[in-house]
Amino acid sequence: MSRLPRFALLAAVGVVLAALPIYLESFWLQTGLFAMGAIVAAIGLTLLVGIAGQLSLGHAFFVAVGAYGYAFLAGQDVPDGPAGLGLAPPLALIGAVALAGIAGALFSPISGRVRGIYLGLASIGLVFLGQYILQNATGITGGYEGVAVEPFRLFGFSFSNTDPGDLTILGVPYGRLERLWYVGLVLVAAAVWYGRNLVRSRPGRALAAVRDGEIAAAVMGVDVVRYKAAAFTVSSMYAGLGGVLTALAFGRIVPESFGFLLSVDFLVMIVIGGAGSVGGAAAGAIFVTALPLILNRYSGSLPLLAEPGSGGLGASEFSRFLYGAAIVAVLLFARDGLAGLAHRARRSPEVKERLA
Amino acid sequence: MSRRLVGTLAVVLALTVAACGKGGDDDSDTAAGGVKTGPGATADTLTLGYLPDLSGVFAPNGKSMMEGAKLYWDAKNEGGGICGRKVELEVQDTGYDPQKAVAAYQQISGDVIGLGLVLGSSITAALLPSVEQDGMFLNFAGWTSDILPNENVAIAGTTYDIEAINAVDFLMREHGIKEGDTIGHLYFEGDYGENALKGSKYAADKHGLKIVEQKITPADTDMTGQVAAFRRAKVKAILFSAAPPQAASLAGIAASQKFDVPIVANGPGWTPQLLDTPAADALAANYYVVSSMAPLGLDADGVKKFLDAYQQTYPKGTPSSNGSLYAYAGAQIADAALTKACEAKNLTRQGVLDALHSLDALDTGGTVAGKLDFSDPSQPPSRLVYIAKVSKDAPGGLEPLGDAQTAADAEDYSF
Repeated sequence: MSRLPRFALLAAVGVVLAALPIYLESFWLQTGLFAMGAIVAAIGLTLLVGIAGQLSLGHAFFVAVGAYGYAFLAGQDVPDGPAGLGLAPPLALIGAVALAGIAGALFSPISGRVRGIYLGLASIGLVFLGQYILQNATGITGGYEGVAVEPFRLFGFSFSNTDPGDLTILGVPYGRLERLWYVGLVLVAAAVWYGRNLVRSRPGRALAAVRDGEIAAAVMGVDVVRYKAAAFTVSSMYAGLGGVLTALAFGRIVPESFGFLLSVDFLVMIVIGGAGSVGGAAAGAIFVTALPLILNRYSGSLPLLAEPGSGGLGASEFSRFLYGAAIVAVLLFARDGLAGLAHRARRSPEVKERLA
Repeated sequence: MSRRLVGTLAVVLALTVAACGKGGDDDSDTAAGGVKTGPGATADTLTLGYLPDLSGVFAPNGKSMMEGAKLYWDAKNEGGGICGRKVELEVQDTGYDPQKAVAAYQQISGDVIGLGLVLGSSITAALLPSVEQDGMFLNFAGWTSDILPNENVAIAGTTYDIEAINAVDFLMREHGIKEGDTIGHLYFEGDYGENALKGSKYAADKHGLKIVEQKITPADTDMTGQVAAFRRAKVKAILFSAAPPQAASLAGIAASQKFDVPIVANGPGWTPQLLDTPAADALAANYYVVSSMAPLGLDADGVKKFLDAYQQTYPKGTPSSNGSLYAYAGAQIADAALTKACEAKNLTRQGVLDALHSLDALDTGGTVAGKLDFSDPSQPPSRLVYIAKVSKDAPGGLEPLGDAQTAADAEDYSF
């Protein structure tokens, strides 16, 4: 592929994505925003697990640090409510990502020492620690009642229903979800771009070398300990950014959203997408996040599924079955996930041509 | 892929925007008969959103609630509906997952006039910004006073803290607890348990009692350690703000150690299925429930009507006070608000909220203790509770002790 058509393709995709809020109803926008938050965080995990070879089940913790960090840094200090520093939202976003990065860096001595399944188990502890803190540090997190998330603002433009109050583009009222869509697009684009570059760059190759053999990598001159710590930190920052986006999509965050199941969901995302592939993580994130929401929506019209409230196999149970089936299928037939499938599909015509 | 294609795409997009871009929310208009209507209301239907948990941790309770809600609205629709309009339910499962709940809300919010039921405090907290923005009323399936004051939220009856104050009062009146005594309080981390603890601490302060706290999570089901702690502290009674599995363990272990003290639970601490457990005898001996939802053995018109209808429709089902009966009572509240809004010829969301706050003595026929007064959003609609004792013969396993009542302390308590 030459450079120009590739650019044209990207531009076309960009135009379509940017135009979506004009057509999509709020359900789809909300689902899309959740998926975007998951994409950013899943890219972080695929870098950590797929490239650097460190298994983490604590990803939900760092997502929570980002989400609550943003809510705290940007939040207004109201009496009888959780505390807030009232920073400008862009600053709060950077601060929240930095907080998540610091949390990751603090954990990296452990991740440098333990590996494989043991690291996975050690990182589970973080999720439960996080849940305990979220429930009990009520001065900042609001406990079980959660905390309101300050809308994102840039140069006086608020990504909420106000300021300006009635923004209409092409006859479509642009409210909170429509506006946030663009924040999400920009953050996802930045995350994908940075992630792909990181994988192909010198540090990315060094990380892969560490994954494949620490001693060999050390012999080649890679500082194993430093690279492992850096991988964990970068991955946590991705998680933090995903958390900020998720928090903005929610409008109010509660501890239940950041439990152990979320960590498992992230692992499912990167396995389905193909560990180590940035695009695969994005596809996996969309699959895992949007599937239950969409199945729930259409459960009334799908013949197999029971309407909510009428008993029988519901949409949520069904989507869990589908995940299970998808994971088994991926592990059996496509160990490199959706990314591997796409890669092979792209390759095969060329290969055939050459053979012919 | 070429530049031409991009150009074509752009043109196609621009054209279709004009053709099928989504419009704004349809605003209120006045239909025939002079009744103003908004989203969720037409000339012959009213649509209520229901967001129970049907697949998560509270699924059994959520399913029971949907039975109660269907029971009420089916009967209502057979009787002609609300001012000639049939009531339709838009049910979406939340799975007790805030993310699913928010998406489900976005999906139904354009089509409903209000939310007939939302199960769970954290789910409600996650939905509140949008609910307030859309000006909907929300029937909150939970009884925590932390949600107050809120213009949009209706609670059925009183809150956990007031239940706990009444529980302490009951222990002092009927079980000889007096100043200087120690009582235990076993409670869940989170809204329910901590709200109840607020009430018990308030009452204990007032009467010079000492509270021994034991905080647990829903995952803890073996109460051996807690019973030991209560024994060491020589508690004379136990307040209980957790769920049925913990109740069975607590009562069973206490009985096996001949630790014979009364246990007084909040509403969610009871389910009739507990009588099928080995702890049934221990529970029948020492277990009491304080709740604003009626015990099913109560001799009141509303409760009898509910029980008859329930047994007819679900002959194999088990009715429960804070499941099916709650949703039935919640539907009564929604019904009253909608009926009043229709009388005022204003079936918009704001009209329904105004109608809800104009209800100052709603009689549910006994399903909820006392007459409900929704005029002040900073107060629960009632401070009355029912006190009941576990009995193997009573319907729902609870035999009421007297009528709806409240303690003087509960009257003075401020949130």
